[in-house]
This record gives sequence, C-alpha cells and structure tokens, in this order.
Amino acid sequence: MFDNLKKRKLSDGFMQALTYLSSTVSLVTLLLIFGFIISKGSSFLNLNLITENYESQGFVADLYAGYELCDCNASGEYLEDGFYSKKWGIALVDSTDLLGKNVVEVLYVHQDSPFQQLHDKGIGTDPIKMKTDYDIIRIAFESHATALSRHGAAQMIEYLNANDSIREIEFQTAGGGIKGSLITTLYLIGLTLLFALPIGVGAAIYLNEYAKPTKSTKIIRSLIETLTGVPSIIYGLMGLAIFVPLTVSLTNATGGNIISGAMTLAVILLPIIIRTTEESLKVVPDEYRQASLALGASKTQTTFQVVLPSAIPGIMTATLLAIGRIVGESAALVFAIGTAIKDDITLTGKSTSLAVHIWAMMTDEPANIELSATIAIIIVLITILLNIIIKIISTRYLKRKLGSAYE
Amino acid sequence: MEELLKWKEQMRSTKKNRITDKITQHIFLGTALLSASFIFIVVGIIFVQGIRPFVTDNQGLGSVNLWSFLTGDVWLIGATFASNLYSVGFIIVSTLFIALLSLLVSFPIGVLTALFIAKVAPKPLAKILRTVIETLAAIPSIVYGLFGAGIILQVVYDVSALFGYQSKGGNSIISVVLVLALMTIPTITAISEVAIRSVDKTIEHGSLALGASNTQTNFKVVLASAKSGIFTAAILGIGRTLGEATAVSLVAGGRRAGISFDIFDTTSTLTTIMLEGLKETTGLDYDIRFSVGLVLMAVILLTNLLLNSVKKRVGSVHVR
Amino acid sequence: MKKVLIALVGLLTLTLAACSQTSTSATTLVTYDGSKNITVYTRDTTSGTRTGFMEGIGFAEAATSDSVLVTGFLIKDNTAILNALSIDEYGVGYVSLSSVNSTVKGLHFNGVAPTEANVINDTYGLKRPFMWMIRPAGDYPSTTVEQIVQAFIAFLATSDGGDIINNAGAIPLPSTQTWDQVKGNHAVCNQNNSGVVLRIGGSDSIQKVAEALTKAFTPKCGNFSAEHDHTGSSDAYKRTNDPAIKDTSVGKDIGFSSRFFRGAELTVAASIRGQLAWDAIVAIVHLNNPVSNVTADDLKNMYNGTYRTWNALINR
Repeated sequence: MFDNLKKRKLSDGFMQALTYLSSTVSLVTLLLIFGFIISKGSSFLNLNLITENYESQGFVADLYAGYELCDCNASGEYLEDGFYSKKWGIALVDSTDLLGKNVVEVLYVHQDSPFQQLHDKGIGTDPIKMKTDYDIIRIAFESHATALSRHGAAQMIEYLNANDSIREIEFQTAGGGIKGSLITTLYLIGLTLLFALPIGVGAAIYLNEYAKPTKSTKIIRSLIETLTGVPSIIYGLMGLAIFVPLTVSLTNATGGNIISGAMTLAVILLPIIIRTTEESLKVVPDEYRQASLALGASKTQTTFQVVLPSAIPGIMTATLLAIGRIVGESAALVFAIGTAIKDDITLTGKSTSLAVHIWAMMTDEPANIELSATIAIIIVLITILLNIIIKIISTRYLKRKLGSAYE
Repeated sequence: MEELLKWKEQMRSTKKNRITDKITQHIFLGTALLSASFIFIVVGIIFVQGIRPFVTDNQGLGSVNLWSFLTGDVWLIGATFASNLYSVGFIIVSTLFIALLSLLVSFPIGVLTALFIAKVAPKPLAKILRTVIETLAAIPSIVYGLFGAGIILQVVYDVSALFGYQSKGGNSIISVVLVLALMTIPTITAISEVAIRSVDKTIEHGSLALGASNTQTNFKVVLASAKSGIFTAAILGIGRTLGEATAVSLVAGGRRAGISFDIFDTTSTLTTIMLEGLKETTGLDYDIRFSVGLVLMAVILLTNLLLNSVKKRVGSVHVR
Repeated sequence: MKKVLIALVGLLTLTLAACSQTSTSATTLVTYDGSKNITVYTRDTTSGTRTGFMEGIGFAEAATSDSVLVTGFLIKDNTAILNALSIDEYGVGYVSLSSVNSTVKGLHFNGVAPTEANVINDTYGLKRPFMWMIRPAGDYPSTTVEQIVQAFIAFLATSDGGDIINNAGAIPLPSTQTWDQVKGNHAVCNQNNSGVVLRIGGSDSIQKVAEALTKAFTPKCGNFSAEHDHTGSSDAYKRTNDPAIKDTSVGKDIGFSSRFFRGAELTVAASIRGQLAWDAIVAIVHLNNPVSNVTADDLKNMYNGTYRTWNALINR
C-alpha cells in the first residue's frame, strides 16, 4: 500500500515535472527570439529609420573660385571618433548606413571650411552646404587618384591632405529608411479593411441574425471556414492570377500594386472577421432583439441600432486581429504586391510592405540581417501592442456588458 | 378619422419597413454568399493555372507528364527553360515527413504546456505563460524564419558536428522541423487549453473522489475528456506546418533530388520549391509553381480528411 | 615543458611551410580532416553568377541544369553562401569578388590571386562581363529620354563613371576622359530634367552597380530619375529591342546583362550595345581549409562529383 503510494508520488512528480519542462520551452523560445532580434537589430532602431527615404538624394559639386583653405583647429572628439583634416576643416568617419552598407559619413564641418560653401555642378541652386550626416561617395582631384568611399574615411582624409584643390565631390543624404514600406503597410491596412470589413461583418450578420439553421446555411458556413485552412502562399498565387491582372486592366498599374495586395489580404481575412464578429453577435442577449422588435422597430432597425452597436467591441477585435495579420503577412504578398522597395507610394504603383521588405532584403545581395531584425522588432512591437489593446477591449467589454456573470 | 390616418400611416411604414428588411436581408445574404464563393475562386484559379503545364505544350517544350510529376525523385532533369521533366514525388514525401516530425515535437510540448497553464501552474504563473503563448502566436512567421537562419542553423551545425555528423551548414530537416515546431506550439497550446478548461468539473471531482491524485486526474481523466479539442489543435498545427513558406525557405537547403530521411540532410518542401528562383523565371518554370500549389492543396485536403476521420473515431469521450 | 612544445610546433610549422607552398599553416593542417566529404554550394540556375562561374570552370552544362551536379549539393543565394562557408569547414562555394570578406577564404584560380589588378591585366580567368544595351535610335518615349540615355552611356566610359563602378564593387574598363571633358557634347544635361524617368532593367546581379551609376549621374544630368526593375540578363535584349516586348509595359530604355550577348541579341546594331565593366567570381572555402589554389578542373571535379573529399586536392 505504502509502496504503491510512494510509486504514485514518484510518477506524479515525474509527470508534473514534464508539464513544467514543456512550458519552459515556450518561455525560452520567446526569450531567444526577442534576444536575437534585439541584439541584431537595436542598433538601427531610431526615428531616422522611420522618417527617411529609402532612396537618398545625390549632389555633385566643386569649389568656388575664390575658396580658401583654412587652418582650422577643432576640438578633440572629432579626432577621436573619426579622421580630421585641419587643412580642409572637415571630419569624416567610417559608418554603416541604414542598409548596412559601409559609407563615409560627415562628422563635422568647421565654420571656416571651404566645404561650407560649395558650387553645385548640377542644376540646383548655389551654394550647397556640406552638412553632418551626409555620406561622401567620392572626391576626384585634378591629378591624383580618386578617393572612394569603399576605401574608407582614413584614405579620404589622407588624399584631401595631399591636395590643395579638388575637381569634384559627390555626396548624398542618408538613405535606407523604411518610410515607404511603412506607408504602404498603412495603405494596405486601410484598403484591406475597407474591402473586408463590410463583406465580413455583413456575412456574419446574415449567418447569425437572418440565416435559418438549414443545410445550405451549414454549407455556407463550412465553405467560409475552409478558407482558413488554405495556406497564404496559395492566396498569393490567386492574387497573382486574378487581382493583379484585374487591377492592371482597370487602372494604370503595370504589375503588383497596393490594391491587388489589399484585395488578396481581404480574402485571407474574411473568415477571421466573420468568425470573430459572429462570436460577438452571439453574446448579444436575445432579449435585446425581442425588446426592440416589440417596441415596433423593424428587423433592419434592430440589426443596425441594437445588435450591431452591442457587437462593436467584437468587430474592433476582429479589426485588430486583421491588422496584426496584415502587418505580419509575407508569403501571400510576395506574389500579390511584389518586392520593390519604393519611397513615393501610389495605390497603383509598385511598393512593398514591411514584412516583404524583410524577405526582399534577406534574398537580396548582400542580405541584411541587421536591418531585417530591426524591422522585425517594429513588426513584433506592433503585434504585441495590438494584442494588448484587444485584451483591454475584451475584458472591459465583458465586465461592462455582462457584469460579474461572465467573470 | 385621425386614428384611421395614423393606422394607415403605420401600415405604410411597416410595409416600407418590410421592404427595407427584405433588401437588407438580401444584401447580407449577398455578402455571405460572396465570402463563401471565394473558396471556389481560390481552388478554381489554382486548378486552372496548375493544370496548364499538363495539358498545353508549354511553348514547345511538350506537356508535363502528370504521373512522373507526382512520383519522380528529381525536381528537374535537364536544363532550366529547356526541359519539362519536373517532378515533386520526393518533395511530397519530405513535406509529409517534416510535418509528422514537427508534430511529434510540438504536440506533446504544446499539450503539456496547455495542461500546465490550465491545471498545474499557480495563477500568476499561468497568467504570464498565457501572455507568452499569445505573444508567440502573434509573431509573424518571417521573424521565426530570421531566427532560424540566425540561430538554429548554427546550433544544428555545431550539435551535429559533436555527434560526428557533417551537416551542410545546418540546413537540414531538423532545422526545418525545429522552426516549424516552435511556430506551432503556441497554436496547439492555445486550442488545447480551451479544450482542457471546458472539461466538465464533475468528471474531475468524480476522479478525485475515487481517490486519484491531482496529477493522475489531470493526465488520465482531463486529457482524455479533452481529446476531441486537442485533436483539433493537432489538425490546425499540421495545417500551419504544411502551408508555411517564407520561414522554411530560409533553413531548408533546397534539396533537388532523392528522398532522404536523414534528419541532418538537406530538404525541400512544396512551399520552398514554389519560392525559389522567383524573380527571373518565365514560361513553364513559372507556371509549374501553380501545379506545385495544386499538389500542396491536395496534400492538405487529404491530410485533413484523414485526420478528421480519425478524430471522429477517437473523438467521443471515453474515460478510463 | 610548455616552451619545448611551442618550440616544437614552431619548428614543425617552419618545415611544413617550407615543404608545401599550398598549405597556409601547420596548425590548420593538423586539425583539418581532409577525409570529410566536400559540401558543394551553388546559386540557382537563374543566377548570372552561376552562369559565369560554370562557364569559367569549363562546366557550361551546369549553368542551367541541376541534374549534372554532384548529388547532395545546396542551392543558396549570395549571402547565404558566404554565411554557410563561415560555418561549414568542408564546404566550397563561389561569390562575386566584391562580396568576398574576411570570414571566408578566397581561392587562387589557376595560380592567380583574385585581385582587381589581376582582373584588369587579364591574368585572373574566372570573370564575367557587365554589358549594356539601349533602344534603337529614335525609338524612345521622348527625345529628352534618348539624349539622357546617350549622355549616360558616354558617362559609363569616363573615369568618373569608372570610379562609381569601382566603388560599387565591379572592375571598370580603363578610361582617360573625365565627364567634365565630354559633357559639352550633351547639352541635355544642362536643363532641368526632374520630370524625366529612365526605365532601367536587365540582370539583377548588376543592379547594385547600375543603381550606383544612375544615382551618381542624376545630379550631373538635370536631376532625371531612374526606375530600376532588374529581372535577368536575357531581359536586357528582350525589353529594349525585342519587337514583341519592348513596347509593352515592361519595356526599358537601358538593359544590363552580366554575360556576353549571344544569338539573336547580336543582331542589334553594335552602336547600341557595349561593355562597361568586369566582375570577377571567386571560389571560396572555410578559413580552416588548407587549400588555397584551385584549377578550373579541380572546381569542375568538385561540382560534378569526381572529387568527393578534400584529400583529393590536399594529397595531390
């Protein structure tokens, strides 16, 4: 008897330990993923990333006829971080831009430096001022090897010091920002919801308020449910086969675009929106409907003025779930919108979403794990934020609407 | 007289109401039918496009032989743009093998985690873990792929080297299985937890009253009663496993020929082969993706049918 | 005791280094297990780098076909190959010269080191050309576009354009003139072209170079803008000169190719096509690998499966 009890205790302990162990797996996974993307991507995470263009603006310039070399003394920090030319009054540093490419960045320009006033060799207005954070691509001299950014800041300063004049200098604003992809993602969210919400909510209302429990209703329901089982890459192929040609023939689009992407996403999201909305319609007590009808309201009025408002938190949850899915979707959009990273976003032009931005950079040459991880941080933050809001809405709603019965 | 007018007015408005009711009902019916019809559009388009390589002559290359496409063990014999000898037989096998393995990893872990959250863990810990699971479920698959390419590949390469295996830079069945398993654990946990929570308390109390320990009750009674729900979790998990594309493509290694069950060997799945060489292909080499998509849908459909019939057989509650 | 050991190792190093020119250092020789199988990494069949590499090692049939390669090879993109070979001690792969970094070891090819100088003096053999092709004269959306395209092609041949090509990792053809010296022939660049769009396409392995070039040329020529859509070398001809395609929505003004033009592509006038640069391809291995020189035949034997282990090369 006691032996048995001992044995039981042992096996109980073992089984319990198993559950503890299993739970640790999820916890460790989450920590590892967070640790990975933060350690790889946090160095790029700043406001510039979100506001900058992906494409940078280039300049070509030379010196004004009456320029004067200076003997500019600068404080020590520029000498420590980068390389400083006393003669030209400019400090340069080796850096990586937002794309992970090695660039030579301007760290400091002395106020008496000839680089304060440059003559534009293009069609822009004179004078151009060299600013910090600009990237210098090359400096060409009259009779000396050209200084190129790939050889680094040290060599560029060395070449500058060896010359008293320059033939031309090319530089550009910092690029590599994700502003375009961010805007595309926002457009996608708006348009997709515009397509999917009316249809999804309408279908949910039909299924919950109007449909009688007949066989055909059951079939409709299971057909919609089947959509959830289709992998997103298949939806991508469908978007490529229908929505892309459709938008190309109706608008001035030439290939995958935001509209075709949004249409594809709308189809993916329909079952989610329908199910979540239906769940929330189910919770609306039947007494509400009966009371409204008894007071002489028509079925339409009841639906729009009584049932629907009660279901709004559910619809909001559906919306937020949908946004989470839009932000994270990659496989379908690779086909349905394409992988071109752009700055000027139009509905019918080429562009891409943040998740596909990651995919495009990982399959690009060279792949950019760091910036990919940075975008991953942004995406994960957005999804977590959405999840928190969903939770707040649903708990508030349950408490207010249904009192303690549902606690 | 006034009452009559009022009554008439009321009748008219009810009539108007009835018409608007009818209209709105039909609009709602329309949206429901539209939603339901998309499955036919999806299946139809993939079918029409996917069947094309088999029935047309593919701009002179000749039609692809369906039988050898489904059974062959080399992705493409001959040169790109110049051959129609495509086949996915070995990829179907490896896709199913990978799905099975990853379920073997994720299913026990997922279910036990669910049991832990629902029954074993103290409340604050359960709350934390539930948040962890929800967060994991919300992380997009491309992020799992990044994680796989950055960490799992290195770990698998080092571990296999410890055992004297020579893995190919970590690209292997086991890496794919791990990425997929980590991705499906939250799905399985979340659904199993709901199933476990909805087990009737009286069954539990009965077991406890008969002298079973808490742990015994949890494992033998609660899990058995939640069987049907847990099975649903497994079905959804395997669906996600079969359909995942971008994350898997970063760790699979792109095997082009031969079935291999060596878990340290490279592999391909139906989804990774669809993503390869995407930018620069045209003609048959592009169209064949739709055919692979068609095969993928058939595989998912058959797996679901099989699992659902198994579920029906084991689904009813039997408490031992 | 320790000192004796160090002295012994040092002696061993010296003797071995003296004996064999090919082995880099004794320590790697001691730890490296040459009996392990070679893992073969390759790009996929659509890659221009793959075509260049396979043709360069005399294995042209492998450029477009996977079935002639050794069984168990891996298909990866450029970065993934670099990443894999920093992990995989027994792998072999290939990348563009500009991509080679310190995490892997670039092999000498037929005894010649993979350097820019050796590519330009034509001693390093494993290389491919970067070519350009433009639309026939008068066949542009507007004369402004045509004039900017002409100016751009002139820019490619200047030392200023060469600097940009060099900066983007490829090796420019020798040139003597600067843009300042030839821009007088291209009055179009003095006007404001900010609304003008050049459509540029062709090989995607040349995209980085092409983007750097248009970016540098934009401020030199009235701030025109360039739309890059790189899909593959064969589209350089198709989208600029193929009558069936050039006037559709995917038509281009300039197309780039990362191989020499061939077949029907050679029927277009010589004045609207040319070469702008070279790109060298380097066979790479893990840093621990003692092999540092290979011949074209060695690489072919590794990729077709004749050599299965590294000892086949080390013990030669």
